[in-house]
Amino acid sequence: MRWYWIDRFVEFVRSRRCVAVKNVTLAEEHLHAHFPGHPLMPNTLVIEGVAQAGGLLVADHRQYQGNMILAKVPKAVFYFDPRPGDTLYYECRLESIRGEGAVVEATVRCGERVQGEVDIFFADAAHGPRARALFTDLDLVTMMHYLGAYEVGEDADGSPLRPPQHLQDRLSTLWLGGPGSE
Amino acid sequence: MQFCLLDRITQLEPGKAITAVKNLSLAEEYLADHFPRAPVMPGVMMLQSLVEAASWLIRAGEDFAHSLVVLREARSVKFANFVDPGKQLQLEVQLVQSQGNHYTVKGKGLVDGSTALSAKLVLWSGSLAQQDPHQAATDQFLCSRLRQQFQLLLQRSDPETSGKT
Amino acid sequence: MPDKQEIFEKVQEILCEALSVDEEEVTPEARLTADLGAESIDFLDIVFRLEKAFDIKIPRGELFPDTLLQDERYVKDGKITPEGMEELRKRMPFADLSPLEENPDVKSLQDVFTVEMICRFIEQKVAVEN
Repeated sequence: MRWYWIDRFVEFVRSRRCVAVKNVTLAEEHLHAHFPGHPLMPNTLVIEGVAQAGGLLVADHRQYQGNMILAKVPKAVFYFDPRPGDTLYYECRLESIRGEGAVVEATVRCGERVQGEVDIFFADAAHGPRARALFTDLDLVTMMHYLGAYEVGEDADGSPLRPPQHLQDRLSTLWLGGPGSE
Repeated sequence: MQFCLLDRITQLEPGKAITAVKNLSLAEEYLADHFPRAPVMPGVMMLQSLVEAASWLIRAGEDFAHSLVVLREARSVKFANFVDPGKQLQLEVQLVQSQGNHYTVKGKGLVDGSTALSAKLVLWSGSLAQQDPHQAATDQFLCSRLRQQFQLLLQRSDPETSGKT
Repeated sequence: MPDKQEIFEKVQEILCEALSVDEEEVTPEARLTADLGAESIDFLDIVFRLEKAFDIKIPRGELFPDTLLQDERYVKDGKITPEGMEELRKRMPFADLSPLEENPDVKSLQDVFTVEMICRFIEQKVAVEN
């Protein structure tokens, strides 16, 4: 099992909102255990998808500094369970943000129906008595790239979304045909 | 990867309270992505362990009358600490109330005696045949697999605790 | 401008949502930690919700003085120093500091954080910003 719970960004507006897609497929091994004979996506993994999409929205706002991680889920409500063949859309809105933490509120849709509503509270793992360095700014920007954020994303003024210059430079040495090579 | 996170049920009062454990090991492949240089148990996997403990509590309380137990709500889920590879997450869940097919529980997860996770959950328990009578065979199949898994989780108890189940 | 009752009701709703407790538990005297189960992660969540609900800004440390606790002048060996008490009186005129006056242990600071304290803070804040 890889730890990717979103597949692609279809919208990304810096510091405001993003929409990410998650395809549910029988190729995911855990569905065969959850449950045998009746595969259903666990709603805890829907929460993780929101945390990943929303977490990147928060990270991008902070220019990929710090390690904002899932600290609290004040509320997560689910109306039904996603099944193989479903495509989920996680619409995440950045509601509050400051140095110590951030709040993202999300609506999860499957077709026309609302599948869930999830609020996530992020806190910075890089500070405080139990501080840890979990991932780097380059890790975050690489994930944004994999998920197509820089293909669809825009800045607040409508210009194309780009990572900070110093990270762009390091990225283009990692992949061929990355944004730095345009 | 099998999506059954719990390793052992250590205490059970069907329909009332349950304790269980989940060991975290570097052998769990998803840790390679979470995170490459600093593997820690994803918060939602801690939560999923709690959901599973709650699910067994409910199933045992209903004597496996229903095939499906799924999460419907999670509230005030707080992650206070990390679970590192080599550590054990101890889960404690109590039933708060039940209304029809919905069960409200409160639970926590501890590592070395300190609370790492706390949450309030609402789970729904039901059968496929309730919506579609043709699914009765799937319900039976699933219930039988669940009973087997449950026995496995109970059998791994120490002899002195298995008397409490 | 909201009156005291409106402020209380909004604060009550916010604490119910943030702490997942029932309305009946959120009395004016209720202590956030001892009675309502608030943990450190909840304090910032509460601040964000108060900011949104009352359209105010609450800079870090203004409602819950966490930065003060890291200052050696104000906290030593787990006890709040006389300078610390003076600083708290200055920063938190909306709070009833008597639990600390009886026992200046840092842990007693948590008993100061009551629902009433938040309401008085909001009343003061809203009056100023209007």
